[in-house]
Amino acid sequence: METLSVYVPKLVTNKEYIASGHRACSGCGEVLALRYVCKALGRNTIISNATGCMEIISSPLPETAWEVSWIHTLFENAAAVASGIESGLKALKRKHGYIKDVKVVAMGGDGATADIGLQALSGALERGHDFIYVCFDNEAYMNTGIQRSSETPFGASTTTAPSGKVSMGQHTWKKNMAAIAAAHNIPYVATSCSSYPFDIMYKIEKARKVKGPSYIHILSVCPTGWRCPSSDTIKMGRLAVETGVFPLYEIENGEYKMNFDYPKLRPVEDYLTAQGRFRHLTKEQIAEIQQKVIVEYEKIKMLSSRKKGK
Amino acid sequence: MTSKRVGLESSLGIAQAVKLANVDVIAAYPITPQTHIVEGLAEMVANGELDAEYIPVESEHSAMSACLGASAVGARTFTATAGQGLILMHEVVTVASALRLPVVMAIANRALSGQLSIWGDHSDVMMARDAGWIHIFVENGQQAFDQTLCAFRIAEHKDVMLPVAVDVDGFHATHVIESFYLLDQKTVNEFLPPYVHPTPLDPDNPVTMGCFAMPNYYFETRKALDMALRNSKKVILETWEKFGALTGRHYLPVEKYKTENCDTLLVTMGSFSENAMMAVDRMQESGKKVGLVRLRLWRPFPTEELVAALSGAKNVIVLDRAISLGGPGPVCSEIKAALYPLEKKPHVVGIIGGLGGRDISPENFIALVELGLEKIKTGHTGEIIMFGVRE
Amino acid sequence: MKNDIIEIRWHGRGGQGAVTSAELTALAAIHEGKYAQAFPSFGPERRGAPVLAFNRIRTDRAVRERSGIIKPDIVVVIDPGLVSLINVTDGLKPGGTLIVNSARSVEDLQQDFSGDWKLAVVDAASIAKKLLGVNIVNTTMLGALIKATEVIDCDSLREPLEERFGARAKSNFEACKQAAENTVISEITPSGDKRPRSFAVEKLPKWNELPVGCVVTDVGNTKAFCTGNWKSQHPEWLDSKCIKCGICSIFCPEGCIKQQKDGFFRADLFYCKGCGICARECWTQAIKMVEEA
Repeated sequence: METLSVYVPKLVTNKEYIASGHRACSGCGEVLALRYVCKALGRNTIISNATGCMEIISSPLPETAWEVSWIHTLFENAAAVASGIESGLKALKRKHGYIKDVKVVAMGGDGATADIGLQALSGALERGHDFIYVCFDNEAYMNTGIQRSSETPFGASTTTAPSGKVSMGQHTWKKNMAAIAAAHNIPYVATSCSSYPFDIMYKIEKARKVKGPSYIHILSVCPTGWRCPSSDTIKMGRLAVETGVFPLYEIENGEYKMNFDYPKLRPVEDYLTAQGRFRHLTKEQIAEIQQKVIVEYEKIKMLSSRKKGK
Repeated sequence: MTSKRVGLESSLGIAQAVKLANVDVIAAYPITPQTHIVEGLAEMVANGELDAEYIPVESEHSAMSACLGASAVGARTFTATAGQGLILMHEVVTVASALRLPVVMAIANRALSGQLSIWGDHSDVMMARDAGWIHIFVENGQQAFDQTLCAFRIAEHKDVMLPVAVDVDGFHATHVIESFYLLDQKTVNEFLPPYVHPTPLDPDNPVTMGCFAMPNYYFETRKALDMALRNSKKVILETWEKFGALTGRHYLPVEKYKTENCDTLLVTMGSFSENAMMAVDRMQESGKKVGLVRLRLWRPFPTEELVAALSGAKNVIVLDRAISLGGPGPVCSEIKAALYPLEKKPHVVGIIGGLGGRDISPENFIALVELGLEKIKTGHTGEIIMFGVRE
Repeated sequence: MKNDIIEIRWHGRGGQGAVTSAELTALAAIHEGKYAQAFPSFGPERRGAPVLAFNRIRTDRAVRERSGIIKPDIVVVIDPGLVSLINVTDGLKPGGTLIVNSARSVEDLQQDFSGDWKLAVVDAASIAKKLLGVNIVNTTMLGALIKATEVIDCDSLREPLEERFGARAKSNFEACKQAAENTVISEITPSGDKRPRSFAVEKLPKWNELPVGCVVTDVGNTKAFCTGNWKSQHPEWLDSKCIKCGICSIFCPEGCIKQQKDGFFRADLFYCKGCGICARECWTQAIKMVEEA
């Protein structure tokens, strides 16, 4: 739990692997989550990054914010490139005396993960490569100007699914990537959120130790796209978790574990009304979202209560 | 040194070359007529004959993507594809060259869909023409074997560092069992030094690969890539020279066949060249002054060598096994452009033929040359001429 | 000027609406029967980063130019902080006009520039805060443009504003009108450069100076890039309230809040973009955000 007893300097390494001077928006929750991910990964890491916000804000030739080895090639292939890196290192170890203990990590935004890169991700998970895939989910194509993705939540207004006289904006429910990843029978799946640094670092450290593929889905608050003040980034992520809109849980070898269980969830209204992208929603629509959130939250809770061997 | 002659399917000959190159990573997705190459490799890996990682990726796009990753950490990397597979892969093909990753790929040249065709022509390669790869066309299994080995040496040379495609005509070359001279491991090891990436992805010496370029940088990055590709010819020539000395099998960017004292030169690329040679033999026997020029190196385009080979002729007839829909045949238009600065230009006529696996036999080639000469005689003005299509 | 093309360059920051200003200017000019263009400078820069937008306006015939504007007739600076960061008068034609949003006086600003230009100054921030309730001055600055150059008429803006802002058009129009009334104009003398200004010029490599594959080995070199000038506010610590928990440091997206030797925390203002997360998240409210001067 994030409590007053937490004293950051004692708990977190000072070392940064994503340097200052990056061009992320003021108050960016995604780069914040990326900072934690990199801290937890440490130096013995090779990152394959999909095209997207984190790529663009970090690597304008001849500059780079990265202090770990990093490659970007295309939008939809981060997991496939990671497959090649992991296999390449395996061959180098076996044949050419390579001895370094490297963790291969692929990362991308929600579009790169759940839309255009889903096939490459599925292939890499299914083949069992020893790598971590991190999805930084800011719930739309923010890099190109807030276009909807399959991770955009129900009711949100985006530039390609705007709210209008006859539309409430996004009319589909968020794609459940954690369940899709888990359906590949991989050892470790987890959700996290940019407002929970210690949760992110705990899960990344855990994934680092896993042999085989792991998938971490991080809700990353985007003040620009969600239309909220940049100072509210942390608050907004907390609201997502405390309202049950985005529960934090792990799926370890198929076994669910709710990490932050709230006996009484805050009303989703607190979350929705704080963001411009939901401003147009009616009371009825908010009630519909509230109902769905409770159903989904209960589902995870129910799955978490089922223990192996019972 | 060269071993005794063996019988082998050309696809398996390519697999043998990849094995002799002691490749580290193979990432491939099956597509006809490339399958026998990668099946052969998968079997070698499964049997422990080849110590490599075989990644059975879920698409060609991921095949090339995985190759990028493997090559970027310093692993020797191979893939193979064909037709639609190459087109699906195309987005990644441009990145391999831009990042200067020396992936080697066999392309089993195949026609393109709409009407699905698994059979051979050069349309797939033509769509990948401008992607910054070295392209070497071969005519038979032996050449496919030889050039696959040469491809690794060229690609990974420190002065090149570019991906290389060995273009092998689907079925006409890939699926034929023929005779081969293979090479022993010791000879290959002497010919092919280990692959060393100068700045690989390495946790101890972190690097950033794949920055984006603003308008104030992008143009320079393209010029650098273009110059690297043009300058690769030096290493290509040197590699072929070394290979020739080692094996007695000599290769050139533009190879001439009985062109002395010929008025008319036929230009071909790929497996049909052998049929064309037979046609030339017969035509010369009957007193016709027709010779053959075979284009082996498609990229970097050997302008100098082509001009030298063609400038003395009166007539040049270019066979394109690809159709640039709505435009002139791709090989012919480049040859015309190369000859344009000459004061005394040969008449050049382009003929499209052999699409989607349609044969051009030695007899057909004689007819094709006659058709070309007839068009030149009657004042050909650049209309598209097709050979062997029902009209 | 009548038959000539008039070129305008807008300086703002991502999120401040410089592009909107340029668009409204072009729409107003077209509304008047003129020919006009508006276009942004395309780039990866984000909210807070310096950005450009451009206009071309001609009375008698279509605008065909499709290249960047190098020598503008008019420069409009929406964000006062940019004056000391960017050479805003770069390429500004002799006889041209520089329009700046600033609380500073004309006389004071004159010290910063030297050239045969007209200088127009308006405290757009105060007007916008009063009439719009926010410090977004892009529409307000249109008033200063109108007053200083008459390149468009105030009334021509009414329709484009309504289309863009709906119910909020009225207050934006008022802000624009009030800015026009409050704009102070004076001449700059070509010689009077009293405060020398210098701006870094990027040295760009030739094609053969690029590394193979453009691989960057100087990792983390964005550290040389100042993002601190994106901010409009900065954090200040009240150490007496600080419990040295470091939550400000962990929640900083720039990773620029560091613990000092005395155990207290400070932001490196060279990078701080002024998001305000640290102040918002401080348990003991030991941090407050202060507007940039």
